[in-house]
Amino acid sequence: MTHTPLGIEGSYPLLYLIWLLPLAGAVILWTFGPQLRSLGGPVGAALVGTAFVAALVSWNDATQISDKLGGAHAPMVSWLPGFAFGLLFDRLALVWTLIITGVGFLIHVYSIGYMSGDRAFARFFAFLNFFVFAMLTLVLSDNFVGLLIGWGLVGLASYFLIGFWFERPSAVAAARKAFVINVLGDVGILFAVIVIVTKVGSIGYGDVFGNAAQAFTSGELFVVCLALFVGCAAKSAQVPLHTWLPDAMEGPTPVSALIHAATMVTAGVYLIARCAPLWTASAEARELVGVIGALTAIAGAVLGIAQWDIKRILAYSTMSQIGYMIMAVGVGAFSAGVLHFLTHAFFKAELFLGAGIIIHNLADEQDVRRMGGLRKQMPFAFIAMLVGVLAICGIPGFSGYFSKDAILYGTLQHGHPILYAVGVITAGITAYYMFRLLFVTFFGQFRGNVDASDLGIRHPDSGTPGQAARLAHEAEEREHHGSGHAHAPAWIMSAPVAVLIPFSIGIGWLAIGGENSPWQTFFAPVFPAAPATADVAPIPELLSGVIVLVVVAAGIALAYLRYGTKAALGASVARLRAETMKMPPVLVNRYYFDAAIDALFVKPAAAAGRFFGSFVDPVVIDGGVREVAHSATWLGHLFRSFQTGLVRGYALYLVFGVACFVVYYAVIGAGK
Amino acid sequence: MTPSAFAVPIENYIGLSAVIFFLGVTGVIVRRNPLIMLMSIELMFNAANLALITFAKAWVNAAGHIFAFLVITVAAAEAAIGLAIVVVVFRRAAHVDVDEIATLHG
Repeated sequence: MTHTPLGIEGSYPLLYLIWLLPLAGAVILWTFGPQLRSLGGPVGAALVGTAFVAALVSWNDATQISDKLGGAHAPMVSWLPGFAFGLLFDRLALVWTLIITGVGFLIHVYSIGYMSGDRAFARFFAFLNFFVFAMLTLVLSDNFVGLLIGWGLVGLASYFLIGFWFERPSAVAAARKAFVINVLGDVGILFAVIVIVTKVGSIGYGDVFGNAAQAFTSGELFVVCLALFVGCAAKSAQVPLHTWLPDAMEGPTPVSALIHAATMVTAGVYLIARCAPLWTASAEARELVGVIGALTAIAGAVLGIAQWDIKRILAYSTMSQIGYMIMAVGVGAFSAGVLHFLTHAFFKAELFLGAGIIIHNLADEQDVRRMGGLRKQMPFAFIAMLVGVLAICGIPGFSGYFSKDAILYGTLQHGHPILYAVGVITAGITAYYMFRLLFVTFFGQFRGNVDASDLGIRHPDSGTPGQAARLAHEAEEREHHGSGHAHAPAWIMSAPVAVLIPFSIGIGWLAIGGENSPWQTFFAPVFPAAPATADVAPIPELLSGVIVLVVVAAGIALAYLRYGTKAALGASVARLRAETMKMPPVLVNRYYFDAAIDALFVKPAAAAGRFFGSFVDPVVIDGGVREVAHSATWLGHLFRSFQTGLVRGYALYLVFGVACFVVYYAVIGAGK
Repeated sequence: MTPSAFAVPIENYIGLSAVIFFLGVTGVIVRRNPLIMLMSIELMFNAANLALITFAKAWVNAAGHIFAFLVITVAAAEAAIGLAIVVVVFRRAAHVDVDEIATLHG
């Protein structure tokens, strides 16, 4: 193995500041939460904000290039040869760090308003800070083991935050589900790390990428990529490991915005972009990841049509959009995938925070059927959501247009026309269900006072203790929020959204200019160039853009015809009821993924558990132990019977023994 | 090499030794008075001594004599300890029947 340097080595004290400030925040808030009370939120936000400023100040460290090496590399400790730990702050890490701390900061500020009055206010911010720290560990690590540690910590932070309202059984179940699936992904990455260490003998990114060609056969490389992708699929909610993401909406809305939309779920995109040299070298891995990404994109989008919970609609759209990103980085269009990460982080955070404002103001109502006409009541939320919807649909001028276009054209450039077609169709479906969300929520009449059954709302698990507990808890939360309004000014929730709006529109403009755009120039030194042979797209980029636009317009038009016309809005109650009734079961049951996982893994595991609990443990294991004890007792009883206490008896045994010896030697002697 | 000549045949010495030994064994097993048992044990010792000395004389080998002295020493020690135990037991139990002293039975 030859050592390959990774970046320009130095001490970079600011890097440690970026990395450790959120950890300090988590420790402080966790330790002194009760004393800080309502100060906990501002303290947490300030620390993350400081980390963001430090990241901005370090911009030049990350972008510096000398002798083909890019970025700042701060080695920390070396454990064994090949096991050196340090921080890497290159252009890729910079993008992620800015989003994690920047959007993270905005969401911290928003949470000060959203969570005000919650009993565990400081604990919430301790978890949020801990999450930011975990994510930074993942992104800033210069080696696979550090990445794995960050990967696991992020899963843990996600578990804490999804289950934040742990009095709700459904939140606890969702947190557990997310954690289990995420750990499955951790195991995949651990496996990849083991193979890498065995083959390469080093965990550093530079060493691994520099020696990959000599160290791995193409089959081994595919195995490594596959194992890494298991981790990506679990963290980034790719089919078939996506089922935890919609359930994760049980967490508070800022959590959904920060973790389950903007940052954590894009860790898979980061990992593939970071391991671009591996993926570039393995055509099979590119194929697989591209197909899974496209599958996730369209599967999530189709499910988005069938949802009524505003956060679940956004959750499925997140899944779908991450499918786009994974597809892009999978086929090799790395900079397009990362651009979509960047634009998505802004517009999806904005959508979630906008939805959060609605949910907050409607006393925790999340069902879009019980909304309607909110445009006049909440004009600010409407504008925010409108910008987000236009961006996610890819309307020209908005950020999503540029990134989605880059991804779709990238699939063509890398020779995947089928994935392109799936992507275009997904864009149409996305436009449809996002405008459906917009029309149902903001137009027509307010339906919050309409009886639930008139809207066709059935609580599938109403009457179960869990549901009852949840409803009771929600009522209680409402009271908390009621008291919270008094001391949480509205601007503290609006301001972060207002900051996000211009970014949702303008961040995509970085990609204007094709090959010479600021974005492409920025990432030119990072990602390997696409294979030249596949670099011929059958249609020009302009035509591709027009095709996408036509499909998107068709989706919007369909949504308008079904939900937006005067007739549709006038009869919205009846129409929504009819749609609820006619919803295909396959969509309502989310393609039966949960049922299949339940039948394939959960039920057999539970049956095995019962078998072991009722038979193996009490009968085989306990029985074995008992038998050992019994036989010892039995032997004791046997030997006890010889111990008569009669000295003369013992003498008799002695004589008998001696007699035996005598007879024995007499016989032996006679034999000789 | 044949054993050196004796006035009395060597079988008689060995036979006497065996008789005394079995008297001792019978005494230990049959009698319940510890003093009698100790005396029987002494009998066994002396039977062994007789045999040792007989063989020493017969094979002209001093080892047998030496062993006999050793046995006498051990017998003396044994008698001292045995009598001491008997005295202690008698003080506690006020009777001297070994079958009654069976507190260590299982």
